[in-house]
Amino acid sequence: MTKMDEGIRAAARQLLEESKVSAVIGYELADKGRVRPVVIERTEDVDRLIWNEDCNLNLVNYLHQRKMPAGKDQPIPKTALVIRPCDVRAVNLLISEQQIKRENLKIIGIQCAGTRINKKARITCSFCQERIPVDYDVLIESDKPIEIPTESDGFADIQEMEHWTAEERLAYWTEEFDRCIRCYACRQACPGCYCFECVAEQVDSHWTSIAMKVPEKMFFHVMRAYHLAGRCVLCGACEAACPMNIPLSKLNRKVARDILESFGYKTGDDPKHAPLLACFDPNERLHI
Amino acid sequence: MAETFEPKIVSFLCNWCSYAGADLAGTSRIEYPQNIRIIRVPCSGRVDPLFVVKAFLDGADGVMVLGCHPGDCHYQQGNYHAQRRYLVMHKLMDFIGVESDRLYIDWVSASEGKRFAEVVTNFTQRVRKIGPLVIIRDPHALEVKLDEVTA
Repeated sequence: MTKMDEGIRAAARQLLEESKVSAVIGYELADKGRVRPVVIERTEDVDRLIWNEDCNLNLVNYLHQRKMPAGKDQPIPKTALVIRPCDVRAVNLLISEQQIKRENLKIIGIQCAGTRINKKARITCSFCQERIPVDYDVLIESDKPIEIPTESDGFADIQEMEHWTAEERLAYWTEEFDRCIRCYACRQACPGCYCFECVAEQVDSHWTSIAMKVPEKMFFHVMRAYHLAGRCVLCGACEAACPMNIPLSKLNRKVARDILESFGYKTGDDPKHAPLLACFDPNERLHI
Repeated sequence: MAETFEPKIVSFLCNWCSYAGADLAGTSRIEYPQNIRIIRVPCSGRVDPLFVVKAFLDGADGVMVLGCHPGDCHYQQGNYHAQRRYLVMHKLMDFIGVESDRLYIDWVSASEGKRFAEVVTNFTQRVRKIGPLVIIRDPHALEVKLDEVTA
């Protein structure tokens, strides 16, 4: 048991004992040294909670399942989450979109040293500047040394791709998207994707067919990247969930970079900020 | 491919300004290329950027979105929303490999019939220069075919 585990368990036990929350969502150990998300509702189960660098999903996603149906006078269950800095930004996103309320949440924030996908450090973490959450109730300090990359490395791979010709980029993405099996795991893992009926599955109006062809797959991924414009928190949960190892975060990081350049806006900075593409400044004349 | 490539251009025109502008171009008998397929929409804010993606993936070589000048929107703010959306979509399409010159967004008012013709002419020439947009439907089929040909 590491120091971080101790901290998480102590915080979770206290929250549950004082009835501040009805459940704590975190990670537990599973078979073959893997980790999986777990919902802890009783104090005696608290010792199952752990944290390590393989905890690469976005647990904020589970809040969607803890929302009560609208119009019914049921109390909204109060929940604690064991989450990383990028996940905390997703919390702010959902608050700004009025999906959840901060007072129903307790955040056990992790000082994050970066996480891995399939035992490899992932791209989103290798450029991440933010290691302490913007908002938290309890902070769990990292027991690993933290190396924050310099600003310039941030979007190196995106910049490189921008220097390619359009044909090269189209060929690259055709090859990548061709692998897609349209399992929609990326969408399910995403805290920002919570439409009741996804555009990809709508029959009326019929946006895209169910064909397993490149244009349909491309449509799905471009659609997702666009719908997450100004909303993606770059947690990389989509990439971690993808069974075909498609570099999905590249699309999202490209959009996030453009938005940072044009509007100086980073998702989750402020829970009161309206979603970027749902507001405008009447004086702005964007150079398109 | 034929010697002269004629691009297919889908254009979304807002009902209140650009469509009326196109109408004025017509009634004034100003000539402009016949490559554009006009789709009338209530407002440039109605043009979901996914319309554009779908147009490209379904065979358009260029897409044009024309709306009212900022401040002139019939619905007060539709074109401001469109402006932000297309800033994002423009760069995203370029990143996917659809040249950014294939997508054009501009403001044309109801009195700018001449300007409408100019805009269409310039954009058609631009797309003609870039050439056709080829989206491969089925890379496997293509590979099999290539193998057959080379065998």
